[in-house]
Amino acid sequence: MRRAALALGLVALLAWPWASPRYFVFLASLSVVNAIVAIGLNLLSGYTNQLSFGHAGFLAVGAYTAALLTTRWPDTPVVVTLAVAALVTGLVGLGLGVPCLRLEGLYLAMATLAFGFVVVEAIMNLDWLTRGNDGLRVPAARLGPWALQSDTARYYLVVAVGVVMVWAALNLARTRTGRALLAIRESEIAAQASGVHLARYKTLAFAISAVYTGVAGGLFAFVVGFLSPDAFDVFLSVDYVAMIIVGGLGSVPGSIAGAALLTVLNDSLAGFQSYRPLIFGTLLILSLLFMPGGVARAFRFLKGEQG
Amino acid sequence: MTTAALVHVVVSGLATGSIYALVAISLVIIYNATRTLNFAQGEMLMISTFVGFTAYQRLRLPLVVVLLVAVVAAAALGWAIERLIIRHAISATHFDVLILTLGVSLVLRAGAGLVWTHDEFPFPALFANRPVALGPVRVAPVSLGIIGASLALMLALYVFFAKTRLGRAMRAVAQNQRAARLMGISVERVYSASWMLAAVVGAVAGILIAPVIFLSSKMGLVAINGFIAAVLGGFGSMPGAVVGGMLLGVLENLAPLYLPSGIKYSVPFLLLITILLVRPGGVVGRAVRRKV
Repeated sequence: MRRAALALGLVALLAWPWASPRYFVFLASLSVVNAIVAIGLNLLSGYTNQLSFGHAGFLAVGAYTAALLTTRWPDTPVVVTLAVAALVTGLVGLGLGVPCLRLEGLYLAMATLAFGFVVVEAIMNLDWLTRGNDGLRVPAARLGPWALQSDTARYYLVVAVGVVMVWAALNLARTRTGRALLAIRESEIAAQASGVHLARYKTLAFAISAVYTGVAGGLFAFVVGFLSPDAFDVFLSVDYVAMIIVGGLGSVPGSIAGAALLTVLNDSLAGFQSYRPLIFGTLLILSLLFMPGGVARAFRFLKGEQG
Repeated sequence: MTTAALVHVVVSGLATGSIYALVAISLVIIYNATRTLNFAQGEMLMISTFVGFTAYQRLRLPLVVVLLVAVVAAAALGWAIERLIIRHAISATHFDVLILTLGVSLVLRAGAGLVWTHDEFPFPALFANRPVALGPVRVAPVSLGIIGASLALMLALYVFFAKTRLGRAMRAVAQNQRAARLMGISVERVYSASWMLAAVVGAVAGILIAPVIFLSSKMGLVAINGFIAAVLGGFGSMPGAVVGGMLLGVLENLAPLYLPSGIKYSVPFLLLITILLVRPGGVVGRAVRRKV
């Protein structure tokens, strides 16, 4: 049953570009990219209770790394580009994570918020590198002899990477690291008493989260094809927080559902920009008041398991 | 740079700093009651200023009455938000309440955009803007007015917290909710009162700053600097909020004189990150101990 559903889902994912108009292929790619960020953010927030309002900053680091690398060396295989984007973003995450260990809750949220602002300012001011507010055109990604120039090609790249990232996230919970993170979520003090090295695992969670967002950033650069600093403002970070709240904290399928839901919603509201934050805000409030645990828990509840 | 010019810069820094301090105080009032950061503080401030502005436009009320209208509107808004939304999440984690206020801030800002559009409006000034000479030093009356009005409000708040029953009840709840409840204090009433008081302090700050930065739906962003001011002073402490606000205002105004001019907007954030790393308890505060 479970396997059948999984296979069906995979077939649907692969068949999507042949069944839908070109624009919806792009939208699906964007949903998957956002889902990867949401999973990364959820590893941090859902597992170790550290809230981040700076993930748009990580996304920007990943995106600009990938874009600059491809501009400079157009023949780099996309896998290498994404790996470098992940590495650079992960290092930034580590750099931010170590000092942020001293902070918790509110203070951490604010430090990450400030990080997001600083990244955007840095992109604007380093215009010899990033072309500042003029924006940066991203060349097509290359995989061996092929240039991924169509929306469909990019979609398959995104889906392939997305499947790997989801698989890794689902299995993380079964590793030593994953169990340590879950222990931290339940009680930091109890986890510490059971021999979990709190500082090490919290930093690790930060780095893993940044790696996820860095990969997503690289994909984002290729999918969108054009980068400018205003795409990575604080409201994007808020959108990611909304995705994991609506989807469900600490749940991988929930992150995917939340990301897909909000990406599509965001797009269908493109014509009503002034109503968008109104609807997002209402959605946030309603899901916290009436659906704590998000889509993931509501789904479990419907299946008859206790929430 | 002459001393007189330096004094001018410092005085206008103190004026912005007073606004930051008022916003910081309003954040601290809510934090002390509900142990959460109110992300919607800036938007509450913006809405009450807009209500005052509408009263001014439609009815041509004198500015003092406009201030009163804004204050009443703020109190009603603060009460409604606490009673209708925050109270329902009373058993939720701080994390959840934080995100609730984030949702409220999105809704309020979008709502304001729908009602009043996202344009900028010039707001009538309580004080004149043209600098006057005080001996060798030139200062703008608006700076002095903002500083004076803010100091008066801070003094009033000090008396409120030190002398009145409700103020003392609020301080008791800030120290220990359970003990406060056992002493017969209605913690729920303190919650309501805190949200209303915070909204009122924010509204006064809004009316004071609106003539300087224009009235617009983006005005709520001043709350970010208010938060940074509160952290600078040690989050949770009201005297700290005042010191932090003034410090931030002056540093923000002085920095462009000595550093590249583009840096002005990054100063608060760099300051925030530095203080969080070096002295998370704030410049006047001390480290918080955590218990199981």
